[in-house]
Amino acid sequence: MADKSTLGDSLRRHGVSRRGFLKFCTATASLMALPPTMVPAIAQALEKARRPSVIWLSFQECTGCTESLTRSHSPSVESLIFDHISLDYHHTLQAAAGDAAEAAREAAMHENKGKYILVVDGSIPLGDPGYSTIAGISNLQMLEETAKDAAAIIAVGTCAAFGGLPQANPNPTGAVSVADIITDKPIINVSGCPPIPTVITGVLAHFLTFGSIPELDQYNRPKVFYGQSIHDRCYRRPFYDKGLFAETFDDEGAKAGWCLYKLGCKGPMTYNACATTKWNQGTSWPVESGHGCLGCSEPRFWDAGGFYNALSVPISDNSQTVAFAGAAGLALGAAAAGINFKEKDAAQKAHETVTIDDLEKSS
Amino acid sequence: MSEATLERGINALKEQIDAPVASFFSSCVSCGMCAEACLFYTETGDPKYTPIYKLEPLRRVWEQEYTLFGKVKKALGLHKPVTDEMLEEWQELLYDSCTMCARCSMICPVGNDIAYMIRKTREGMVASGNAPEGVKGASVRAVTIGSPMGVKLNALEAQIRHIEADSGLKIPVDVEGADYMALLSSMEIMNFPEYLEGLAKIFKQAGVSWTLCSTAFEATNSGIQIGSSDIARTLVQRVVDGAERLKVKYVISPECGHAYTAIRWEGPNLIGRPFPFRVVHILELLDELRAAGRIKTKDLETDTHTFHDPCSLVRKGGVIDEPRRLMDMVTSNFVDMKDRGKLAWCCGGGGGVSSNEDADELRIKAFKRKRDQIAETGADVLVTACANCRLVIEEGLEEYNIEMPIVGLSEMIADHLVVDDEPEEAEK
Repeated sequence: MADKSTLGDSLRRHGVSRRGFLKFCTATASLMALPPTMVPAIAQALEKARRPSVIWLSFQECTGCTESLTRSHSPSVESLIFDHISLDYHHTLQAAAGDAAEAAREAAMHENKGKYILVVDGSIPLGDPGYSTIAGISNLQMLEETAKDAAAIIAVGTCAAFGGLPQANPNPTGAVSVADIITDKPIINVSGCPPIPTVITGVLAHFLTFGSIPELDQYNRPKVFYGQSIHDRCYRRPFYDKGLFAETFDDEGAKAGWCLYKLGCKGPMTYNACATTKWNQGTSWPVESGHGCLGCSEPRFWDAGGFYNALSVPISDNSQTVAFAGAAGLALGAAAAGINFKEKDAAQKAHETVTIDDLEKSS
Repeated sequence: MSEATLERGINALKEQIDAPVASFFSSCVSCGMCAEACLFYTETGDPKYTPIYKLEPLRRVWEQEYTLFGKVKKALGLHKPVTDEMLEEWQELLYDSCTMCARCSMICPVGNDIAYMIRKTREGMVASGNAPEGVKGASVRAVTIGSPMGVKLNALEAQIRHIEADSGLKIPVDVEGADYMALLSSMEIMNFPEYLEGLAKIFKQAGVSWTLCSTAFEATNSGIQIGSSDIARTLVQRVVDGAERLKVKYVISPECGHAYTAIRWEGPNLIGRPFPFRVVHILELLDELRAAGRIKTKDLETDTHTFHDPCSLVRKGGVIDEPRRLMDMVTSNFVDMKDRGKLAWCCGGGGGVSSNEDADELRIKAFKRKRDQIAETGADVLVTACANCRLVIEEGLEEYNIEMPIVGLSEMIADHLVVDDEPEEAEK
């Protein structure tokens, strides 16, 4: 049950030092792109915050999102915040099962009416409800019931946010996202397959600090984490700018760390914090380990053409016009680049070596 | 045909525009933050000294020649072409009021390297004959005589004889197979011979095998300052040839900012191949010797000392902690300036500004920034690691009637060096 102690009390009970706590607040501020002067305000707010009740519902999913959250190494930003919310229902993690578990959920809903945070991972089947049930309750029913008195809903992972893998063509279960069903509650989409742990906890921290949801983009994702494309922050970007591309996964270019665009990297159309936050405590991220970005935090990423098709290769449901327009645009761009290249080449050819004899102007 | 023309200048600018330049111009948001980073603006308050504005000639050529919008404007006759008059007018902005200290590049919120583009724009100024007389003269002397100040080998030899007589130390010249080849800047040879004496003393104590080179003793690269890769290449080639002839493993850049930039960072690009030797700055080498316990010091100074970071060392070279560790070897009372390290303020005389007489008045005005910064520390002595900074600061302080000793860091180390009676054998 949500206990009455504050987050500060709870942290101290768990032996977290004041210094450790402030470090966490500073990391949170920088994650949320807030100025350093906000750190004391965050610390104060978090110190006083009641541990909010969190109900975590899992529907059609692979548990990757929960894995992502729990695989954070302790003590870390992730585990800190994870330990210090009151996670009242999470059927993968809790000890209780069956009726007892459902009773816990109902008690949490009742006691924290209107104040609890609902976290959802997995998509919801709208076809036959029998595709996914928990304790005999269909996903749709459980979501509607639990969402009713929630303060806010966080859709964790691309399945909950956009339908994800279950929704991929031909979508046998009729899977839909949380936002397709619940329309009268604030929903924060934390997409990714799975999402970055720090992003999940960052959103929670924002809610705890400010009591409000962060600024969202057109897909209801927090702008602070999804404001920039993978491509814009990619460390391989200079190679793209120079036109140096790996052609296969084992060629010289790949070995030299060149851009993976031609190998299907979806970095240019994918918005997420992987390139800056990285994974496994900042160890690495997909592009750094040699594979292009799959675009996992974007809607319909499973159906957006093959993972290994370059972005410039049209995908099947593109109309011919679009494909032609794209090709024409590419050709124009290439032509413009070609002309510029020629001009620069001509300028280089026209270079007359400057010697000390020709520093004066012609008279 | 050898004369500078507008056509050659424009062609040089076209040649200089590359992907970084194009992306820098496209991404400039005209926020003007570079102005606040530039001492020529902060000390005069004149908006024409805004760093990005100094690049207008290059920007115009980029827009007209390489962008669709610019090409359309040009076709419709709506563009403002770069003229000889314009370049003449910009001479002050590109040479008198810019030391290429790169503080603006450091501060730019979208990451535009303005100093990089100033360097490129100067190529156009040189080719169109719009470089100032002072740096032109320095370049001519550097190529024909061998040093921008006109120092010839026999002048160096005379200094060597003096030093050898005074100190009893041997200054090795043209020793084939030595580990290190030391370069000097003319200013050190003529104005601060104590630098060379200091090197000899330190290297003898530390057992460093080193030499000077009779065909390449001068490190100052006027080609970089005037902004001509062709001239810069000639001067770098001279050093490379010298080092290859003597088969040294390392070349030591002296206490001189642009010499360091020229040989360390621009050098291999200019000659188009990697060096067969490594380049180290003298402070980096001294810090290595310190770490290895090969040099020790005694009788630390007790007066308050502060350190002026030469821009080329800190912002372009990352030599920030080394001088501070070395300062701790010579003084027990070191105080840093407020904007230190990579955010250091320039002395106002680098990048050829000090060899350009037209800039004198402006330079003294801009120096107020450094003067105030030094005063703020309350230090008694100023230490630095660039002969040019040292001279410019000496002149500046004199102009403002401030008496303060200014010392080079290497010679300070030499002054406090613990000298054993029987020095170790020189390493092979």
